[in-house]
Amino acid sequence: MSEKITISFTVNGENETREAAVGQTLLSFIRDDLHLTGTKSGCEIGECGACTVLLNGKPVNSCLVLAIELNGKELLTIEGLSKNGELDKLQQEFIDHAAFQCGYCTPGMIMSAKALLERKPDPNDEDINEALSGNLCRCGAYQEIRAAIKDAAKK
Amino acid sequence: MPIITENITREKKTETDFQSPEVWTKVTGKAVYGNDFKLPGMLYGKILRSPHPHARIKKINLGSVEAMPGVYASLTGAELPERPYGIVFDDELPLAAELVRYIGDEVAAVAAVDNETASKAVEAINVDYEMLPAVFSPREALKPDAPQLHEKFKDNLAWERNLLRGDSDKAFREADVIVENTFTIPSVHSTYLEPTVCVAADDPYNGLIIHTAVQSPDAVRVIIAKALELPLSKVRIVGPVMGGGFGGRVYGNLKLYMIASLLAIKTGRPVKMQLTREEEFLVGRPMIAAEMHLKMGFKNDGTILAREADIVTDNGAYSAQAPWVSKTLSERNDSVYHIPNIKTRVRLAYTNKVPTGQYRAYGNQAANFATESLLDMGAVKLGIDPLKLRLKNCVKTGDTTVHGLKIKSCALAECLKAAAEEIGWYDRKKGYGYGISAAIHASGSLVFDKNFRGAAALARLELDGRISIFSGEQDYGQGAHATFTLIASRVLGISPEMITVYSRDTLSSPHSIGALGNRQTTIGGKAVQMAAKRLRELIVLTAADMLEDPVVMEKGTLRSASDRIVELPLVAYHYHSLTCGLSLIGEGRYVPEPSEYDETGYGNIAVTYSFAAHGAVVEVDKTTGAITVHKIVAAHDSGKIINQISAIGQVFGGTTQGLGMSCYEGYLFNKGEVANASLADYRIPTSLDVPDITPIFIENEDPEGPYGAKGLGEIVQIPVLGAVANAVADAAGVRVTDLPITAEKVYQALSGWECE
Repeated sequence: MSEKITISFTVNGENETREAAVGQTLLSFIRDDLHLTGTKSGCEIGECGACTVLLNGKPVNSCLVLAIELNGKELLTIEGLSKNGELDKLQQEFIDHAAFQCGYCTPGMIMSAKALLERKPDPNDEDINEALSGNLCRCGAYQEIRAAIKDAAKK
Repeated sequence: MPIITENITREKKTETDFQSPEVWTKVTGKAVYGNDFKLPGMLYGKILRSPHPHARIKKINLGSVEAMPGVYASLTGAELPERPYGIVFDDELPLAAELVRYIGDEVAAVAAVDNETASKAVEAINVDYEMLPAVFSPREALKPDAPQLHEKFKDNLAWERNLLRGDSDKAFREADVIVENTFTIPSVHSTYLEPTVCVAADDPYNGLIIHTAVQSPDAVRVIIAKALELPLSKVRIVGPVMGGGFGGRVYGNLKLYMIASLLAIKTGRPVKMQLTREEEFLVGRPMIAAEMHLKMGFKNDGTILAREADIVTDNGAYSAQAPWVSKTLSERNDSVYHIPNIKTRVRLAYTNKVPTGQYRAYGNQAANFATESLLDMGAVKLGIDPLKLRLKNCVKTGDTTVHGLKIKSCALAECLKAAAEEIGWYDRKKGYGYGISAAIHASGSLVFDKNFRGAAALARLELDGRISIFSGEQDYGQGAHATFTLIASRVLGISPEMITVYSRDTLSSPHSIGALGNRQTTIGGKAVQMAAKRLRELIVLTAADMLEDPVVMEKGTLRSASDRIVELPLVAYHYHSLTCGLSLIGEGRYVPEPSEYDETGYGNIAVTYSFAAHGAVVEVDKTTGAITVHKIVAAHDSGKIINQISAIGQVFGGTTQGLGMSCYEGYLFNKGEVANASLADYRIPTSLDVPDITPIFIENEDPEGPYGAKGLGEIVQIPVLGAVANAVADAAGVRVTDLPITAEKVYQALSGWECE
């Protein structure tokens, strides 16, 4: 494999120092090196949003970011949302509203929603649709997803 | 605006509302999908595909590929026996032997230590091709001088059906009003978000195990065992969680499974193979494209007299389920209304393009677009309100339709009225277009295998008093497990939380036809109901034996005539000790009445039928052609709803996919090459595209389905297309007859420009 670089970063609140290959995507690093497989791969070219994670609080398609760019940054993945077995309010509302079927888009969808609520604690329909426009849900649960995010915002 | 989602919250946690605990794994990222699955020592496989639409393989130069560091094996068709396999026709090989017939055809494969090495190795393989003339249009392909794809299929005719009911020539002579038109529907991909993936492992003890999520694992197992000449009992499919199916994954990707299996057998190591998103579009078995020329005749009062159809469907290079889909597409829609005279010709043609499979409603959604569009054109010519025209002709309970379908329960008229009412049909706002459309769909299709029509299930009482249900029917998010849980819970009178459904391992579940033909609730659910019923009897008998007194079972507790109480775990242990290890198992089977149909295909083909009517409200910008879909009302007769939360989800999802087909989706080809093989270019609906969707359920009890229920998952997609097409035509004053209905096409129709 290609050249490796040592990077230090925070993942889901824990400090880590690891080696990452120069050409490796953040998605591959998260799934294959950090073994956090909750982040999903749907197209690997930034068109589906399934691999959305938060980098310094901002949603990114991890398939479009190089792993080495993680150096010095904070990474939040779906695994970092529930604490001590307790679900994040977004996770709970996604369940309560049945805001998914197959669930493959769900981790990315929840991460995009998380970033939205950080930025805009009381979003309207337009804000939500805009924030999720890069996250495809083929099961077509958009209406329930919207309702779940609105209810999470109230809590 | 969309208040329905708030209704869901209010109505939550009723007895018809249950989610499988699997939902927890999906929101936490803990659900294990195919791509998350790994085995020790696992290799990665990649496929070399044909860059040409039609060519003869002169030589495959493997060179030093196998000597490359990290490469464990290569595989070409020359090493394999030439034993074709298929779903309807045996027209495919795991790897091409001599001919490649489309861009993407599998030519060679490699297993290596990682994906990168496998990809490099595949690129290093050199193939000499002799180009052959190719044909891309199905109508061209059917001409006698067209390039031939398969020796066995003369003139590229894969399948043909000529169907005659009544006397349509006479009926058209007598008709007061006749309308006709040609409608075209492109190939569409079900576009599940998780690209297809499998891990194949083989050893002398376990045999071949393929870890993959597929809608009909047993069917896949049978095909693979036969094609690879392996003992059936040594081929097992174990399913991880499935990232979407929608009918596109009934058989998954058989070639991927076979190539991974062959590489695993050859190397003695597990082999993982996953399609890229681009490969999904190139080889992932989209639904057939169709060109439908339709003609309908009416009496002045709106009575439908006859329908004629000349349909050509595009098979692509190989067949999969395309003959079945072509049949449904050409015929099912005739049973929405009373149409006494039918004349249909449908031809399925091989072309040098992506081989096809199926998607959700099995072609019935494409037919809905064409026939419901034509019906509205008839309404205009007749000067009759489109809703009244439909109500005048629609089928009802007790009818036997023109093709012999026996309608045991039908609330189609109620669906039509409810959808019309909810979109404001009687009180139209100026500047908006209104459209309505109706559908029938098989609920529990019986025709996949005449000798295997039903389903079986097992219900086992565990030692801790919990119940395990084993079924071969598949859950991939549509809610089959939750529905089965609710059915078993109602039979046994115990809480759904005490029940777990297992379906993803072919070793432990009864053989099943799988998740297709709207079988899950109607047929699979009925088998679960029978199994739970039998288990209940066994529990009561065992408890009576224990207490030496007759007992009754209430809320999971057994009470004797003398008022002694015993709980389920004790009953389980009693039987366990008595038999030295056996458990109480209720075997359930549902064997529907044979489906008697004659050589013309006349007869009943499903356990029962679901009905639906959708209404759409749209706006069209007449200067640009831009379409805004404001609202879709989806009124459904799926009998009694067992699981409300899943049912609502199916309506939102199926309607959204129907909207995608109506306005956005479709394969584009350039000389056989897919021109839009990415999610950016093949556009599916996003959060910005989805209108307000309102589900309405007309809950009449069906006499056949479990607790009066009928299927829903497929029919939800069907009436969207006709409703949207009719609403756009109503708003624009012109009609687009070529899917998808885009702003560009509306603009062209409005300005009188010819496209192309």
